[in-house]
Amino acid sequence: MQAFVASHRPFFLLVGVLVAQLLLLSVQITRTNNVRLIRVWAVVLCEPFQRSLRGALNASTQAWRTYRGLWHAEQENQELHLQLVAAQSQVQRLSEQATENQRLRGLLDLRNQASFQTVAAEVMASSPGENSNSIYIDKGSDSGLTADLPVITPQGIVGKILAVFPHTSHVLLISDPSSGVGVLLAESRIQGVLKGGERNLCEVLYVMNEEPVKAGETLVTSGLDQIYPKGLPVGTVAQTSEGNIYKKILVNPAVDLSRLESVLVVLKPSDAQQQALNVPDHR
Amino acid sequence: MAASTDRPVEVYRVHPAVLGVAALASLILQSFLPLKLPLARLMDFPLLVTIYFALVRRNKVFGMGLGTALGLLQDALAHGFIGTYGIAKTLVGYLAASASARFELESILARSVLTGVFVLIHSLCLAGLQHALLEFPPPFQPLDVASTILVNVALGLVIFLILDRFKHPA
Repeated sequence: MQAFVASHRPFFLLVGVLVAQLLLLSVQITRTNNVRLIRVWAVVLCEPFQRSLRGALNASTQAWRTYRGLWHAEQENQELHLQLVAAQSQVQRLSEQATENQRLRGLLDLRNQASFQTVAAEVMASSPGENSNSIYIDKGSDSGLTADLPVITPQGIVGKILAVFPHTSHVLLISDPSSGVGVLLAESRIQGVLKGGERNLCEVLYVMNEEPVKAGETLVTSGLDQIYPKGLPVGTVAQTSEGNIYKKILVNPAVDLSRLESVLVVLKPSDAQQQALNVPDHR
Repeated sequence: MAASTDRPVEVYRVHPAVLGVAALASLILQSFLPLKLPLARLMDFPLLVTIYFALVRRNKVFGMGLGTALGLLQDALAHGFIGTYGIAKTLVGYLAASASARFELESILARSVLTGVFVLIHSLCLAGLQHALLEFPPPFQPLDVASTILVNVALGLVIFLILDRFKHPA
């Protein structure tokens, strides 16, 4: 390159001198609006670069603004997502509270309407064994509970207290095969004994084959077992069939025994009087 | 007319004082002679001096520098923009020095033709500059250009003969 420039030095010198004189001329010459020619040339020469630079700057600025907008949008999206999760959680909690409120209101109505004294209790746990249908409630002897007290809900009977501990009680559900409840068919007034059956169904025993029993008929407690007060809902007849002597009657319990949360324990009259003495505002 | 490639190109030197006097005289004559002689408006003494010394020195940088100096001084003495004659004479000085190696400069015919060509180039360059930069209307009048060429060729033959007396081989 240097050799090329050196060998053509006069030519490059000529170009330089000519350009210098052209610039000298352009400084002197003015065009319209008293604008010097060198300014016209400078503007013409620089304008494409300025336009390109301005375009590049505008594009860069726009890209930066877009990036910042996207970044803010992402931040906002994350914040809104968190708010949405919190709102959904709150809605779910409120919904559960509403359901619980409805359930407790039902229990309260039952307590107000019933002619017997009751103690409200929460279900703490269910029985761990496969063949035993029982639950544990959070009230025990401290609350005046004793064995064989009936446990009910607004929908119907649940079972009876099997064992009592100071702060808890073990409740045998009516779906357990070892349980027994004196029942009465609401329409035909036929009596029988309800025991636990298979697949969470119960079975009414000791009903003669010739007795008319229809599916869908309601069963209530008969009160003959000396445990459950008379007239409490037990369930509905799901299926009947002829046996050797007695009918085979399957019953759907009135209470969904697998979804128990709150129950009422019915106190015996003597116990109720004692409870009333110990805890006057228990009802 | 063209120089033989076998014969070495002869370069001449001129005393700087002669060069200075010739340049100064050409500028003075260019400034004052047209006042007394209307035909002198067609003459361009600085151009002829530039052509002569560029041809005999056969040096591009020298020819270009002399043309630039005389052109800018001519511009300075004239009422126009400084640079128009400078550009034209710079170009002529460079081209004359470049062409000098190819021609036998002792020949009157060669001198006449070269002078005519360079005067034409000078006129075209001036016209182009004035039209392009100053937005003058196209001033190229063939008759005027031909007159200018004839006058300057004739004047150049005389001036070259005078200046030949002061040159000596380098």
